[in-house]
Amino acid sequence: METVIELESLRKEYRRLRGLKTVAVDGLDLAVPQGGVFGFLGPNGAGKTTTIRCLLGLVRPSAGRCRLLGHEPAALQRVIGRVGSIVESPTMFPRFTGRRNLELLARIDGIGRSRVREVLEEVGLADRGDDLVKNYSLGMKQRLGIAGALLKDPELLILDEPANGLDPAGIVEVRELMRRLGREGRTVFVSSHILSEVQQSADRVAILAKGRTVATGPVHEVLTSGRAAGMIVRLEDLAAGMRALADAGIAATSEDGAIRVGLPPADASRVTRTLADRGLYLTELRPDEADLETVFLELTSDPSSEAR
Amino acid sequence: MIALLASEFRRFRSRRLVKGLLLLELLGIVVAGVIVYFTQEYELSAFPNALKGASLVLLSVGWMLGASAIGAEWHSGHLTTILTWEPRRWRVIAAKIAASLAGVFVLSIVVQVFLGVALAIDAAGTGSTAGVDGSWLSESAAVGLRVALLSTIFAGFGFALAAAGRNTAVALGVGFGYLVIVENLVRGLRPEWAPWLLSDNAAAYLIGSSADFPLFGRTPGEAGLYLVGWAVVLLLGASGVFRARDVT
Repeated sequence: METVIELESLRKEYRRLRGLKTVAVDGLDLAVPQGGVFGFLGPNGAGKTTTIRCLLGLVRPSAGRCRLLGHEPAALQRVIGRVGSIVESPTMFPRFTGRRNLELLARIDGIGRSRVREVLEEVGLADRGDDLVKNYSLGMKQRLGIAGALLKDPELLILDEPANGLDPAGIVEVRELMRRLGREGRTVFVSSHILSEVQQSADRVAILAKGRTVATGPVHEVLTSGRAAGMIVRLEDLAAGMRALADAGIAATSEDGAIRVGLPPADASRVTRTLADRGLYLTELRPDEADLETVFLELTSDPSSEAR
Repeated sequence: MIALLASEFRRFRSRRLVKGLLLLELLGIVVAGVIVYFTQEYELSAFPNALKGASLVLLSVGWMLGASAIGAEWHSGHLTTILTWEPRRWRVIAAKIAASLAGVFVLSIVVQVFLGVALAIDAAGTGSTAGVDGSWLSESAAVGLRVALLSTIFAGFGFALAAAGRNTAVALGVGFGYLVIVENLVRGLRPEWAPWLLSDNAAAYLIGSSADFPLFGRTPGEAGLYLVGWAVVLLLGASGVFRARDVT
């Protein structure tokens, strides 16, 4: 699978007054494969936006390498036409209409008005395109920003916190849009600290803490990383269930009104058969996965976390 | 590059400050025209002097527009957006310089033409058009052109300072500090340095004679070149800083 974003030992320091330095990105390694939605997670100050700025040639890395669609920032002009992006909040002229803002951007690349019309429709702003941006809601401004990023019909979209400040309806809209774009074969690289959001839309994630990657991979792998495989079982008679599993040699512990079975989800049939043989029927059986928020907090709160 | 230039011209033309200042200047001319109409018998032959008198306003407006053309973009974050479309920074800064300087030049010409029309109406109504001939026209055009060029040069100063300082206010503050404090201190303490002051060179270039500047030792044309040289140096310096620095 082709890699659209590659970071190797990327480091960025900002010089402060009196010779002090702030390390924003500290030896970051990352490879983002082509296609789908890639979540780039981290708490505030983890280095997400700085990484994106390095990728887009807006800031110069202090060390390491970054490549976008196979090109380093020095040769960015060769691929920038295939990359749409929003860095932090989209900046538009508030006293221009949404359409006019997009036309100003489109003109830079010689993109015609028909494409402006298309992207306004794509983000659901066709009816409001001729309203002044200052009258837009935050969600509409964000969608207009995404429309701007889509103008070039990019194969790679880099969206920095696209759900920032959105209400629940706006979050759902942006999530649906990202999913759709990912399904179309584009790569959507989305940075966020809204974990539930990314869990629902991303295929793969990387978790960043203090400028370094602490976990990366498909969402379900990251969710189970560092945990023994297991399943959660619920049934009417917990004590009888515990006895049946113990008799069958299956490790199990009782937790919060349920049984945690120490077998991987692939062995679910063994558990159901063992219990059914004793006349015990399940009310719930699911893999024991933490949600992304739990994993995220575990990974980012540990200062000794190492890249996995 | 052409598409980028066209986009920058459109941005400049669409800016509220540009429209607001133009409107203010035109309104000022209308008010002045009405006052002159009712209080004086204006002689149109003195029009070149009116242009010289108006130059201070046009130079200040030029400085302000040049500064805000890049300062406002830094402040609002538009530069980030533009650089995600055109990452070659020298192209971006060159297009912005070209658009803002050309915009200021055209604006300055438009305002002077409007002033000419207003005063021509005054002269035709209650004053005199005596002496309005070919030589008057060429003199008026020459002064008008010099005023427009000076406005453009001053826009370059404003642009360079705002680009380096990432803020319009930096350019306005430095400009005010230099012209009001530094130049007056130099005139008082080191009058022999006057030939190197921007405002003395601007005055000599505008008036078209260095007779009033005995210490000067250079022609008005050389004074103009001196100012252009400074503008070029400052703009090149600001462009270099823009290319090298992080956009955060």
